Amino acid sequence: MPPKPAFLEPLFPWHQHQITVNGRRMAYIDEGDPAGRPILLLSGNPTWGFLYRDFIQPLTQAGYRAIAPDWIGAGYSDHPRVDAALTLAHHVADLVSLIDQLDLNVFVIVWQDWGGPQGVGASLQRIEKLSGLVLMSTWLYTGLLSKFHTSPKPWTTWHAPLIGQYFMKRHKALSQHGPSTITVRGMSEEEALAYHHVFEEADSDHVVLTWPRTIPMGEGDRGWADMKAIENRLPELAETPVLLLWGSQDEVFPIEQHGARMKQLFPHAEGPIVLDRCRHFMQDDQGPEIAAAMVEFFNRRLGAGAK
Amino acid sequence: VKFISPATEELSLLRADPLLSEQELDVRPDVAEAVERAVGKRAGKVYWRSRHDHLYALELADLGRGRPSMATVYGHWDRFEPRPPEHEIDADVLAFCVWVAETAESLNPADVLKVAQFAGIKTGWPQGTVLRTPEECFQNLPDFPYAPHYTEVEGLRVAYVESGSGKPILLLHGEPTWGYLYRHMIPPLSQIGRVIAPDLIGFGRSDKPLAANAYSYKSHVRWLRTFVETLDLSNITLVCQDWGGLLGLRLLSQIPERFSRLVAMNTGISGGQSATEAFYRWRRFSQRVPELNVPLLMRNSLTKKKLSDAEAAAYQAPFPSREYQMGARVFPRLVPIRPDHRGAYENRVAIEKLRTLDLPVLLPWGVEDAITLPWRDELRKIFSNSAPPIDLAGAGHFIQEDAGEEVAQHIMKWMKGQA
Repeated sequence: MPPKPAFLEPLFPWHQHQITVNGRRMAYIDEGDPAGRPILLLSGNPTWGFLYRDFIQPLTQAGYRAIAPDWIGAGYSDHPRVDAALTLAHHVADLVSLIDQLDLNVFVIVWQDWGGPQGVGASLQRIEKLSGLVLMSTWLYTGLLSKFHTSPKPWTTWHAPLIGQYFMKRHKALSQHGPSTITVRGMSEEEALAYHHVFEEADSDHVVLTWPRTIPMGEGDRGWADMKAIENRLPELAETPVLLLWGSQDEVFPIEQHGARMKQLFPHAEGPIVLDRCRHFMQDDQGPEIAAAMVEFFNRRLGAGAK
Repeated sequence: VKFISPATEELSLLRADPLLSEQELDVRPDVAEAVERAVGKRAGKVYWRSRHDHLYALELADLGRGRPSMATVYGHWDRFEPRPPEHEIDADVLAFCVWVAETAESLNPADVLKVAQFAGIKTGWPQGTVLRTPEECFQNLPDFPYAPHYTEVEGLRVAYVESGSGKPILLLHGEPTWGYLYRHMIPPLSQIGRVIAPDLIGFGRSDKPLAANAYSYKSHVRWLRTFVETLDLSNITLVCQDWGGLLGLRLLSQIPERFSRLVAMNTGISGGQSATEAFYRWRRFSQRVPELNVPLLMRNSLTKKKLSDAEAAAYQAPFPSREYQMGARVFPRLVPIRPDHRGAYENRVAIEKLRTLDLPVLLPWGVEDAITLPWRDELRKIFSNSAPPIDLAGAGHFIQEDAGEEVAQHIMKWMKGQA
């Protein structure tokens, strides 16, 4: 695991643990009372645990155990250049392995973006241990695509054959222009660098290319069968407490489309709580507010104890 | 190495892309020819089932000049689940490499093993990955005076107790117990045969791997099969309850020639149909508690007998702390309760095989057991010529505790009737 650069220390002071999942090293932070209820904080493309920096203190102070892993391919985890290691099924199996190895009981999963399908996939594999879900700016199904994912600027052009490789790999279109580009509250240079530096090395951003290509647009696409398998099992979550949080300015998964669909899928869910001045990377735009809403939800519905 | 054609159902489980483990192997022309001859193919995918029962694919690529110049090995295992422990994969791929050496005249299999040893490739259990309950935990076991015997399967110690002589009577316990469960049945049964009561891996005095993914349905079956083959048991009367049956019935379908009778009690074999409400409750509970309080579980499940404190403690003895319980904590979620669960397909195959067997079957049943009661009728359908079940009123899931002596008498009478 690369050492943490000096600029990152004040922004992200927590120790990065590492564990081997499916033959590759996964980095994660694990803070708070080890006997507290584990809250798994899952990031998406192209971010890592840093996305949750505003959440660690509120959660641990309230008695919870905050665990933020970096997906294989992202953050401080291994960055394999192997497509087969970065599929939806593989990411799910990686998270299941983490849950098994840390021996987490009664856990809660918090997710955004790709954390969604991957997190819910793992939750369904260990559903007996699941206590609650928090969903932000994500999707879990086939057959409903945002305008964002079907428009040529920038998305489909970014991912066109050959052209996509040129933008994404040569110019690191997404890995160096993610949260820092669409931030609402404004971001310091150090914060932007915290997102970018993990992909600085040439060819280290393979996952940024494989994630969008795994978004199943039509039947037969890579990831379609797995997404469908997950979608079919969603009714099993009918009794799990769910909280929906959505940004009013989210253009990637607009609230009118995807927030509404989530409410259909989980009619028993609380929310969506709508946050203003908030785009796709909600945890970055409105961290403290969202953390407070989450802690309130957990205290009321679950409690901090892990028993 | 035995190449196989996966069943249609298996293939559909594999789906399009393999879950991990790609290993590219360069193949020299002479080796390529030998492999090609052995598998009867120039290019394409062939499958084989490894020692550990994982499915591997060998992809031969014909890169021109008519001969394969590259081969890739893929491991296929359950989707969305972590891959098997590394030592299993190492053992599988090493076995394959030895086979390649055997196949090609220019290579020596012994050299492959020597090099593997030199390279420090460990196919056994690395240090610190297996726990062994200290013997001092097993002092003061009421009514269980038997000295443990030991044997080894795949580098893991299996403990068993033995009593009597003659044809073997194999007693298989289940979750979350150990051989101690059979203490009221061993004395009478040892009058008519050689009673053997092993502890499953993860239970009793047997070794306990620490990793959750070390325990799988097929590993347990394989371990048990190796145990039976190591002791070279034949003419076996199989007596099983709970997981003892889920495993024992699979085993019976695999090596029926070694078995002559079956006594199934409060158990079954599931091809992936949904389970009882009581089971779902137990499954959820078992996965959420930080530690299983086995004495309490036993006391709550028994309907007639009351356990003394020393007896209750004997059930906790194998688990001095929660790390020792991984096998017990994993078991409930290994029961296939959906058609696509791991083990469900294998069980459906096993059930078809069991239907064709013609061996005497006895079904003593503790009827105060909401978890397994529906399985009694399933078993009657599978073994269509079994005697009507012996319903033991007032007895619960752990029939060996609630009505052990009584069940033993039924078994003895039944066996004498056949002699």
